[in-house]
Amino acid sequence: MDLLQRFALGEIDAFETLVRQFQGDIYAWTVRMVRDPGAAEDLTVETLWRIYRARQQFRPDGNFGAWARRIATNLALDHLRRKRPEASLVVEPAGVQQPDRLEQQETQEQIQQAFHRLPAKLQVAAMLALVEERPYEEIAEALGTSVGAVKLRVFRAVRILRKRLRQVGIRRE
Amino acid sequence: MTEHDERQIRDALKQSFPPVNAELGRDLWPEVLLRLDARPVKVPWYDWVMACLSVIMFLAFPRLVFVFAYHL
Repeated sequence: MDLLQRFALGEIDAFETLVRQFQGDIYAWTVRMVRDPGAAEDLTVETLWRIYRARQQFRPDGNFGAWARRIATNLALDHLRRKRPEASLVVEPAGVQQPDRLEQQETQEQIQQAFHRLPAKLQVAAMLALVEERPYEEIAEALGTSVGAVKLRVFRAVRILRKRLRQVGIRRE
Repeated sequence: MTEHDERQIRDALKQSFPPVNAELGRDLWPEVLLRLDARPVKVPWYDWVMACLSVIMFLAFPRLVFVFAYHL
């Protein structure tokens, strides 16, 4: 009997082997979406626990990695929905800062805030496609949707961001 | 909206979101094991039936409380 079959039957040793094999991949995928290492670790543990709980639904001839990523993506989406965009803190810098640097910092904060106000599904699609430059096929598989749907989400995210950034006076040439 | 727009937004996002370290620094198996062991306590159905019957009995015959208290 192979590893995935033993896992599907509930063998804890088989599950431990799978955890050690896939925890790095699940964590890497999760942290790219949530951008918070502590939260990504918690979500990875939650993902692995849910994987074990749902082991009877897993077909041993299926792709374990892809299935794990789908669960991780759904948990990341829940996390982003629960997380509220933080109000930007005005921190008085020590000493004198160059005006350009301050302006750049403020611009970056505004971009981050505008991004975090996007719906969670658009955030994930845009982060993975535009920032992390993951292949669309990979993103689509993890989201359980089509490549076309991912591209549409990215398009919508870009359109909303462009509009919001223009409203706060950020124009990029 | 053009590819130019998408490129601009992508550049802006890349500047605002620095790269994350995607390397897992530790083994999460011990934590996963703790989660697996923390099974919720399951109360059998007949315990619930007994509890309900007891409550009904004490409501119907309040003096029985003293009888039980005496014998306990």
